[in-house]
This record gives sequence, C-alpha cells and structure tokens, in this order.
Amino acid sequence: MSLTRSTLWVGQSLPRVDAPGKVTGETQYSGDLSMPGMLQMKILFAGRPHARVVKIDTTQAEAAPGVVAIFTAKDVPVNEYGLQWNDQPVLCGRGQGEKGSRVAPDVVRFIGDQVAIVVAETEKAAAHARDLIHVEYEELPAVFDPLAAMQPGAPLVHPELGDTNICVHDRLRKGDVEAGFAKAEVIVESEYFTPVQEHAYLQPEAGLAYIDEEGRVTIKAGGQWTHTDRAQIAHALGVSDEEVRVIYPAIGGAFGGREDMSVQIVLALAAWRLDQLGVRRPVKIVWSRKESIIGHCKRHPMRLRAKWGASKDGKLVAAETEIIADGGAYMYTSNKVLGNTTITSTGPYFIPNLKTDVYGVYTNNIPSAAFRGFGAPQALFMAEMQMDKLAEKLGLDTVEMRRRNALRDGDTLGVGTPVPGPVSILHCIEAAAQHAGWEKEPDGWRNVKRENVQPANLKRGRGFACGFKNVGFSFGYKENSWARVELHGDEEIEGVVAAHAGAEVGQGTHTVMVQMVAEAVGVPLEKVTLMTSDSAGMGNPGSASASRMTLMAGNALKGAAEAALAKWEAEERPAIAEYTYRAPETTPFDKESGYSTPNFAYAYVAQAVELEVDTETGFIKILRVVSADDVGQAINPALVEGQIEGGVVQAQGYALMENFITRDGYVLTDQLSTYLIPTILDIPDAVDSVIVEVPSPIGPWGARGLGELPFLPLAAAIAAAVHDATGVWFDELPLTPERVLRGLGKI
Amino acid sequence: MAFHKVNVTINGEMEQVVVPSNMTLMRMLREILAFTGTKNGCSAGECGACTVLLNGEPVNSCMVLAVECDGTEIITVEGLAGDKQLDPIQEAMIQEGGVQCGFCTPGILISSYALLKRNPNPSEDEIREALVGNLCRCTGYVRIIESVKEAAKRS
Repeated sequence: MSLTRSTLWVGQSLPRVDAPGKVTGETQYSGDLSMPGMLQMKILFAGRPHARVVKIDTTQAEAAPGVVAIFTAKDVPVNEYGLQWNDQPVLCGRGQGEKGSRVAPDVVRFIGDQVAIVVAETEKAAAHARDLIHVEYEELPAVFDPLAAMQPGAPLVHPELGDTNICVHDRLRKGDVEAGFAKAEVIVESEYFTPVQEHAYLQPEAGLAYIDEEGRVTIKAGGQWTHTDRAQIAHALGVSDEEVRVIYPAIGGAFGGREDMSVQIVLALAAWRLDQLGVRRPVKIVWSRKESIIGHCKRHPMRLRAKWGASKDGKLVAAETEIIADGGAYMYTSNKVLGNTTITSTGPYFIPNLKTDVYGVYTNNIPSAAFRGFGAPQALFMAEMQMDKLAEKLGLDTVEMRRRNALRDGDTLGVGTPVPGPVSILHCIEAAAQHAGWEKEPDGWRNVKRENVQPANLKRGRGFACGFKNVGFSFGYKENSWARVELHGDEEIEGVVAAHAGAEVGQGTHTVMVQMVAEAVGVPLEKVTLMTSDSAGMGNPGSASASRMTLMAGNALKGAAEAALAKWEAEERPAIAEYTYRAPETTPFDKESGYSTPNFAYAYVAQAVELEVDTETGFIKILRVVSADDVGQAINPALVEGQIEGGVVQAQGYALMENFITRDGYVLTDQLSTYLIPTILDIPDAVDSVIVEVPSPIGPWGARGLGELPFLPLAAAIAAAVHDATGVWFDELPLTPERVLRGLGKI
Repeated sequence: MAFHKVNVTINGEMEQVVVPSNMTLMRMLREILAFTGTKNGCSAGECGACTVLLNGEPVNSCMVLAVECDGTEIITVEGLAGDKQLDPIQEAMIQEGGVQCGFCTPGILISSYALLKRNPNPSEDEIREALVGNLCRCTGYVRIIESVKEAAKRS
C-alpha cells in the first residue's frame, strides 16, 4: 500500500526523537543508573596473556571492610560462553561449571580474561578487596604473532579444540587462475598490513543488574542484540532464556564493540547469586577507560597477500589472495567476520578466475571481532590498492579502471553465484567521480589535474576507491526480525504503539523506526510511541550490526503495521498485530570452493579523497572526502549524512592515526592519550555526502543499509591519494607521520 | 581520609556538600548530587565528556577536586535550559543533527556555550579550537560545527 502513494514521512530529514533528552542531560546511560540499596562490583582481570589458574584465595578479600560477596569460577553453573562458539570461560578457574564445557575453564588466554568479581557496599571497597585476592598462576607459553601461531609446534591457545591455532579457513576457487594469469598483460603482487582498531566509543561499558518483580535476573547494560545477550547470560547461569531479562538504556556508541559480552554475564551472576544468599540488592559496575580497552574486542589486524592480473584493456583476469587474520584468544565473531573478508576480497568487481584463502588464527591477544565494516575494510584496502597499482601499470585512470571491472547485474561473485541485484556500484562510481572533479571523456574517465600552487614541501594528491558489503546476516543464518504494532482509538486511529527491540546505539534507528511506522500506518509522527529494547515481551530484533537495522526493522514494522491495519478495518479495537520479517534464504560456503549464496542484499559505496602531504613532517591533511553511498532509499537524509560523516572520520582515524600498540599481549595504548582518535582539528576540511538511491526490491520503501558503507573504502582512497601526491605506495596502515617519512626515505 | 564542607552554586542553586579530600568535581556531581548529565568517559582529562563551567570557564570536572570548588559557581548540562526553554545551542544541536549516541553531547554543549558567551560570532577555526578537548566518536564533528554556527545565528 505504501509504495503506491507518495510518502509522508519517509525521506524527511526530521530531528532525532532521542535528541531532546540527550541535550538536556536527562537521558540515562547504564553508568548513570542507580537503585535503592545498590551495591558496587569490580572485576579481577587476569592481567596476563596465558596461564593456568592454580589456586584462588579470597580469604583476605572477604574479610575486607564493605565486602558483601566474592564470586569465582565455582559459582558459575556453566562456565563458558561465546556469540559463535562457547570457547571462553565466564570466570577463569576450576569449579562446578565444567559439565559439557568444550574448553578448559581454568586457563587464562588473554590479559582481559576475568577471574573473580567482588561485590561491596562502595566502589572503593570493591576495588580494595579485589586487590586482596591472591591468585596462583602457572604461566603457559604464549603466542602473539598469528603467522607464528600457524606453524606446527606453536603453543596452542585451545588444545582441546584440536592441534592447530587455525580456527577459520575460508576458500574461494573459481575458474582457473593459472590460465587467467597467462592472459594478463600486467600482474601486481603486494603484501599489505592492516592494524588493530579500538572502538573507543565515548561511553565505557557499564551496567546494573537486579531481580525484577517477576523474579527475573534483569540486566540494564548497553549491547547490540538484546536476545543474544540474554541467551549467553542464561546459558552461563544454566537457566532458561525467560528467567533472564535484558533492557537497553541509552547506549554511548557501539560500532560492533558491544556485540560480544563484557559486563553482562558477571553482573547477572552477581545479582542472581546474591539473591540465592538472601541478599536481594541491585549490583552496578562501571568500567574505566583502561578496563574498556583491555576488556572488549578489536578490529582484526591482517596480513594480506595478493597477486592480481589484468588484460591490456584493463579487465581483471585472475586474482590469487592469501589473508591471515589475528583472531585473538577467542572466536567471538571471527568466523563471520572472515567470511565477509573472503567475499569482499575481490572488491566490487567481476573476476573470472580466483584462488582465495583466508585464515583466522587464535593467539593470546585481545579477541578480534566486530567493528564497523566487519572484515570488509581490510579486504577492500588490499583490493583497491591492487586496482590502483594495475591501473598505474596499464596507464589507465583509476576511475576508468574501476568502471571497466565494476560488477553488473547478473555477474557472479567470487562465491560463484550471481550478485543479488540491482547492482549499483557503477552509479556510486559515477556520482563520486563527477562530484570530485573527474571528467568523463569519450575514451573514459580522466582525473583532471590541478596546478599545485603550494610550497614545495606540500604535495597534493587525489585518490579514489570503492566498497561493497552485505546488508543483513549471511551464510545460512535464518535472518529475521520481530515487531508489534498496536492501533488505538475508536472512529479513527488516535495513537500507535510500536514495539521493536533493535538497539539504538547512536545511529538513529529509533527515529527511523518512528518515521517508518508513521508512514506505514499513515498517521502524523506525534501519534507514534515506540517501545524500545526490552527482551521481556518483545521478539528477537536481530543485532544492530551488518548495516541491517533499517532494512530488517523496517520490514518487520511495516509488516506489523499492515497486519494491524487489516484488523482495524475488521473493526478490532485496539488492533494489535505482531509480525516477523524473514529475509530471503542464504547458504554457507562450500568448504572447498566457497560456492554459496551467502547474502540476500548488498550495498555499495565509492569515495574520492583530496589531500596534502607535508613531505618535511610526514603529516597528511585531508582536504576533501566525497562519499557516494547507495542507501536504496534514504528514510532520513540528515541521518544518512550524519552516518557518512561519522564513518568517514572513524575511517580516517583508522587510516592515519589510530595506532594500537601491544607487546607480548599487553596493551601499551590503553588510554585516549596514547590511543589517539580524531579530534575536531583532525577532520577533513570538507566531507561531501552524495546520497545515491537505487532501491532494493526487498527493502522497506527500497532502503538497503548504510552504517558500515562510508567506512569501507576510505583507507584505500587515502593511500591512493598519498601515492598520487608523492609517488610512493604505502601498503601498511596507519599512515602516521613517522611511517610516511620512512616511506619517503626521509628517516 | 579528611572530609570537607563545600558550598557551591550549581545551576543557580546553593548546595552544601561534604566530600572526601580526593573526590573529584565530576564524582561529586554524579554521585552525590545526581547530576548524571555530566558524563564519565575516561576520568583522566582526555575526552571532555565531563566538561562543566566553573566560574564561567569550561573545565574537565574529572581533573578538578571537589574541595577546590568551595565558593564557586558551576553550570552543568542540566543548567543550560531556562524555564522550559532550551538554550540556542541545545536547540541547534537537535535541529542540525549534532547528536548521535549523545555521550559526548553534554561536554560539547558546555564548551560550545562557553565559546558563544565569550565570542558570539565565532569563525569555524575558533569553533574547532574551542572544541578540541571534546572527543566524539560518532558524528565526525561536521554537524557539531554546524550546530555551533547555527546557535550563533540564533543567539
């Protein structure tokens, strides 16, 4: 119904529904919550990369003033958890909780593993008592370099899981690479390195746990997916999902870093065990910045080797790729992240012959997992650099090189099946190129060089890069999202109450949900009330990740609204309908060839960068970024632009300045004064958002997805612009002044 | 640990608080007085989320001891709005989309408010300079700058 009339609310740049509370200070984040009788909790982290817990002595700590209880492994009913695999102990140590556990619960595998929790009257008392816990460890040989960890004889991080640290191996085999290379006019071989990235959301992890009026263990802590938080907590406590309730207060950023557990399980454990001891009091924890940085996952660092060939007319003929990713100590979502790396390692291009191997390796580093882009930014850095180097060898313009190879409708991806259409990478390429000053001539695109009127040490350059990524979950997951819509009133609809548990992590999803509900029902915006993230009484929303929430929640809310309207027409008052949207089915990789239909939708992006390199200091100044993102249909264009600007600056940090340094598993950059993220003085002079709208046939009002897109190609576009400016290829990120000066031969 | 009696004016209201010597202004605001609009992002003066006005000057409240605030006037994000009327910088931040997750927003608002008080017509460079101590991980700052420009127009 909605597609046939012009839209009321979809496509409007409306202010965010949550902005008033956020500008007055009224909005409560988990660290702001308090309840009467609330206790405070502290976690004892292992603080060592690989060791066996031999003995935990809490005697002295228990006697410390203000201490209410101390819990260790023996208090955890099922001492294992994980979003993909249960390979991590809740609290490291021996206890009752080994039954059914696949991994040794008494082994610490990275510095942020948790060993004990202390609940006390005050935060200070909890911290004091934590320092009085004596743990005897047996140090184990550790491994930190994923390449070393792959070698036979390397110390094993999870000996119970097999005789190797390789925990993921994805393969693509398509056509015949040798025959393909034989047709190549030019071949480029390179090795790339991409770094760890820390999410550095402004709000460190925090939470509050209590027993609610129905006896449920209730956790208020920011996350990205209420129902998997609940499932992991319930599993560890050995209770049913229904006995656990997860509520999201306001969330201070996530970017993938809140998808895995941090404080949730131990908070639940504390409130639940205290209740059993007859102490029904809420428990709160707030992590410091340092605890946040050692305690949650990171973006996978990777080594990427590529050999790509192209014919004389600039067509890709073959690509051979090997990627090794440091997965860190536990699986988290590495298997899914690296599946995504595998798919996007071709770039958004048609390559007839492929041999791709992608490895994930366990080490004793902080686990790697989800971070905006989910494995694609690393793969695209490699792919886009390869494209530029091939174009250079062929004397082709970089935009023209991309136009000639861009995926078209009906082309097969590396996985051997056609890409779901419509494919819009060409639209994005043309939009970005035109906006950035490329000119389309009869023989193709051309970068029109401008005079460099700067002092001799300031070299200007322009770069271009593309990206693509799945929208929604992949590889055979039964992708779905639930919503409920209630229509209240008598003669006419006076109020609409919509429920969806999808996480508002700052991206603006609640605003977009309200707009889509108002649109679907056909009522003024102010009539819509949104019930948000509470696992009690709401169905599974799926995660606020994979750029999926607009498409999935939109379809769920639209379906529920249409069903409720049908009941309204049938005179039901109130008219209430629930609806679960189910996305088209996908399939996992074939183990040998990767053959699959891994995704049901993709979104596309192209970016151009203009920058200036100071060849005396190595400092790179970004002058302008043009980002052309195909969102299918912008539900709220102002929010789209906000996502593009934020994604670009986060990617700029990744490409230029964010330098996460570890030594033997210990983090040397565990503060915001040593791990530097962009300040307002670091951002580009201009970020031009170009919203491309090629509707998705399955998206609500044609919407695809957005959150990750603007991050994807920026590092490659920057490196290309630096090459344009200096003539030097930089194959390792971040491009810190020191690295630039080394590359220029100045130091 | 010694305790001290501190008299402060917070958002126009007189308060008398007893604080330990080592308590920061941020903790006094958040934990004793429940002004949780002032956020704790690092407790180390690195992120600016806890910025408040101390006698009209923006400070990282995690870097100021509560005892130092005896006899001072403090304004937090909760004190920016008048009687049911938001300050222009708050209005502009809503309209221009300067808010995403919102955790940096209170500090950004306070720094921007202080800037506009001393310089009602700041240039873009002056805006950037005034906000360099306030980290934001979501917005890329673009719309925050636009918000301050818009607030300057409205004031």
